Amino acid sequence: MRNLIAFFRRFRVFLFFAVLQIFSLSLYIRYLSFPKNQYLTTASVVVGKFLEVENDVTKHFNLSKNNIALQKENVELRKKLPQSLYKIGRTLVKIEDTLYKQQYEYIPASVINSSVSRRNNYFTINAGYKQGIKRDMGVFSDKGVVGIIHNVSEHYSVVKTVLTKDINIDVMIEPIGLFGFLKWDGKNAKKGSITGISNDIRIKKWSKVITKGGSGIFPKGMPVGKVCDTEPIEGEPLWDVVVLFSEDYRSLQQVYVIKNLLIDEQKALEGQIPPDEEDEDLQ
Amino acid sequence: MNVVVKNSIRFFIFVMIQSLVFNQIELGFGIHMMVHPLFIMLLPFETGIFTLMTLAFVMGLIIDIFSNTYGLHASSLLLMAYMRPVIFKFYGPREGYDPLKEPSLFDMGSRWFLFVFGYLLLIHHFWYFLVEIFRFDQFLLIIQKTVFSVIISFLLCIVLQTFLIKKSKSK
Repeated sequence: MRNLIAFFRRFRVFLFFAVLQIFSLSLYIRYLSFPKNQYLTTASVVVGKFLEVENDVTKHFNLSKNNIALQKENVELRKKLPQSLYKIGRTLVKIEDTLYKQQYEYIPASVINSSVSRRNNYFTINAGYKQGIKRDMGVFSDKGVVGIIHNVSEHYSVVKTVLTKDINIDVMIEPIGLFGFLKWDGKNAKKGSITGISNDIRIKKWSKVITKGGSGIFPKGMPVGKVCDTEPIEGEPLWDVVVLFSEDYRSLQQVYVIKNLLIDEQKALEGQIPPDEEDEDLQ
Repeated sequence: MNVVVKNSIRFFIFVMIQSLVFNQIELGFGIHMMVHPLFIMLLPFETGIFTLMTLAFVMGLIIDIFSNTYGLHASSLLLMAYMRPVIFKFYGPREGYDPLKEPSLFDMGSRWFLFVFGYLLLIHHFWYFLVEIFRFDQFLLIIQKTVFSVIISFLLCIVLQTFLIKKSKSK
């Protein structure tokens, strides 16, 4: 017993250090995979408020650029309004559209905290579950895919961007229709890569990369970027496809969150597949 | 001014500067500016190791909350606080430190500060990027990020000291 006390007394500094170190490292590793609460992140109310005030000051630096981007989008949308269409049939009948049903709704938000130079980059946006945001919803901007909602509080949420280690968004290369998963190697915020594409198929440079829309998070055909390089992986029959992102994540401010109205139906149906077959399926 | 009050104000200033200013600036080349280790460095010589580690842990956690890193800053700052007495002892004068002085650039001289703070900052940054990336096939990236960030952070810390710290009167 005395030996034990002597041991603790001798190594008390190191033990204190070890306990705190293990605590913080386990916190880090646990949060990367699954966030249990929002108190220790920027989704908490106090920190969110601080960052919002900060963003109020700094958002004006990119104001003119953002205005032009929003104006362009307005032009695109205005083209689709009934006023700008020439009517061919002269009989005006209001039709209750039963061929198309609304599947995706979009919730606007602005980025109040962001980083692009870390290994795992998270954005904080100023909309939370009060605005109808839930975990695992997709986030995009007018130019391309941004990420997936990671953690939600009342007024804020944290987005796991495509600039993280294991984002795995299912994408496809446009004219040929090849499927793969989007990855990021942590070096350059402008470029990502696609894995799982076999190297017996030639891929043209600058062919478009879009979302596949299989997991119900993103609609099909949302832009991601363009293929800028293909390199063979040594020892595997696969291409390492380098993608140039169409969105510049360093100056991103306005985003939209995608709400899939039919996601519960899809999840319920896919939940009926026995678990061992689900692994073979691409999400 | 009382030591506790002075250091509380410094704690607040360093947390705010790091999380609201330097976390938001991104220079590219993998540079990540971190100036909050300077707070741990500038605590008085006679500060106990337990106080040092507790302060480092709490400060790290607060900065983690602001930057969505969940314990990464806490871990690296804790390691730095643990190493501080070791490196101070190694570079200390034979008769011990003068308790009236502060471990700053102006009180201790540029040569002492360069070595002691340089080593501490290197340990802190290396541990930070090692845990953040945690892949040995990207070891070169870890080294690159560490070296670039240490140089920039060190220069920033020197600039910050000229604004925040006054020379101690007893010299």
